Amino acid sequence: MNVVGVLKGEFLKLRKRPAVWVCIGILLLLLLAFGYLLSWIVFTYTKPPTGPNGLPPGVTYADLKKSLYPLHFIPNTLNGGTQLGGVLALIIGVLSQGSEYGWGTVKTAFTQRPRRLEWLAGKLISVALTMLVMTLLLLAAAAITSFVLASIDGGDRTWPDAGVILKGALAAWLIYCFWSFFGFGLATLFRQSAMAIGLGLAYALVIEALIFGLLAQFVGDPVRKVQQWFPLANAQYLVQSFGSATREGGPPPRPPFADATHAVTMLLLYCAAFVVLSAVFLQRRDVTS
Amino acid sequence: MVETRDLSKRYGSTVLAVDQLNLKVHRGEVYGFLGPNGAGKTTTLRMLLGLIRPTAGTATVAGRAPGDPAGMARIGAIVETPAFYPYLSGWDNLKVIADYAGVPDSRLGDALEQVELTPRAKTKFSTYSMGMKQRLGVAAALIKEPELLILDEPTNGLDPQGMIDMRKLIVELGKGDRTVLVSSHLLGEVEQMCTRIGVIQKGRLVAEGTIDELRGAATLTVRAAPVPQAQEILTRMLGATAVSQGDGVFSLHVDAARAAEINRALVTGGVEVSELVAGQRSLEDVFIELTGTEGGL
Repeated sequence: MNVVGVLKGEFLKLRKRPAVWVCIGILLLLLLAFGYLLSWIVFTYTKPPTGPNGLPPGVTYADLKKSLYPLHFIPNTLNGGTQLGGVLALIIGVLSQGSEYGWGTVKTAFTQRPRRLEWLAGKLISVALTMLVMTLLLLAAAAITSFVLASIDGGDRTWPDAGVILKGALAAWLIYCFWSFFGFGLATLFRQSAMAIGLGLAYALVIEALIFGLLAQFVGDPVRKVQQWFPLANAQYLVQSFGSATREGGPPPRPPFADATHAVTMLLLYCAAFVVLSAVFLQRRDVTS
Repeated sequence: MVETRDLSKRYGSTVLAVDQLNLKVHRGEVYGFLGPNGAGKTTTLRMLLGLIRPTAGTATVAGRAPGDPAGMARIGAIVETPAFYPYLSGWDNLKVIADYAGVPDSRLGDALEQVELTPRAKTKFSTYSMGMKQRLGVAAALIKEPELLILDEPTNGLDPQGMIDMRKLIVELGKGDRTVLVSSHLLGEVEQMCTRIGVIQKGRLVAEGTIDELRGAATLTVRAAPVPQAQEILTRMLGATAVSQGDGVFSLHVDAARAAEINRALVTGGVEVSELVAGQRSLEDVFIELTGTEGGL
């Protein structure tokens, strides 16, 4: 077995690849900007709207600000970071495999020592580890920001339980792994990056989000029963299982259609399906470019 | 070192890229795999490396099935243009290859030194010239200290000086016990580098042997008149199979040492001899005869 050797090589490639750091940087920047700083500026320096679009009776911006403090940083990060982060994880997954076809380096890899499936295993493990790094950076950035904001306001700096933080990290990692393996599988299938990113984004933005979103509004539960077997819905159930960071005093959020166990099982099954799909295509196809 | 038995590759129902190829490359030789473009050279080499699965037949490479890790550990290869990661330096690219191959990093410096790339080792691959890319490909093939080198058209895309350097390097690499299998469509190149040659045409091996074996016996070229009289004397003297004639020029398949004897017989028989040249068929003649093309020339 030469998986360790492949893993070392793959990690060097991912670590030194600017595109990976650009994706992670964009995610951190957007989460901090829109998830924390803009909200904090609005809650601190503006007055709440009045009338039908105003806050519920008795709720103030000071109440809403509490969602930005450390106690809520896990649901806040998951709500704000998993959807956009998922798209960026998809891109990292696609690039990790699609570029090999674009540069013709598949033949370079296969004329060394590892078997094809060893190479695949090394690549997927390195992608999963990159997703772990992305998750930890995201949570660390969110935790530090929430702590700084609470300190500025003199607010509550209590941290959530370690168990909640660990579960939150694992949930975000699983969601990112699903997305990156999805991208990896598409890139293996199409042997290129452009088509894989295009179809991946189309699925994320149109097929599940838009179609199911619209149908669910008109048809209701029958559509949600079908949707519970689809990946993005399960990512959403998993995020919702950590509760909503938003707005004490607001209307209670709609409970998720399925629980976290169902969501984790489905996401793991999807990850496994993309691994198998990639393995079958990689093992059976000739390398002609 | 390399042996194939009825190796075939068919794409779809119409394209037969390699057709029952029987190839034998012995240890320690520099074997030239010669053929015009599209003859099936690259497909064959890809099958030997396990990149393409044959439709029929078998191959043994370095004592193993193609693509077997134990065999691949003893093989270095360049298939068509060397492909690397453009955002990594030459050194980092080799490091990735070394990690894949399970080779210690201590080999990297030697491999880069061998292809004279040390000064540019820390520069990004995307900034390399074609010649440097090709040399990095050779370095990557060498880090395993392979017993067998498989090089697919290694001088493709190089400028004249780059081609000369690459040929010298291949000859150097082929010294000693190492086996080199190099494909090319350039006759002169193969003639300069290789000890034995296999000629492939439309997926079939149409000839195999040393350069001398392929060129065949030495010839004497004679220009003589009158032609009928000269034809009669030469046929009587050498036999019909050894004499061929076109445009008043006779091609005689005999030992060049008989030139004086033949000249004397013709002159004595009343034939005027205006030219008598000892020679041998060129590899180009052989190639054209075998493949019906002037590929690469």
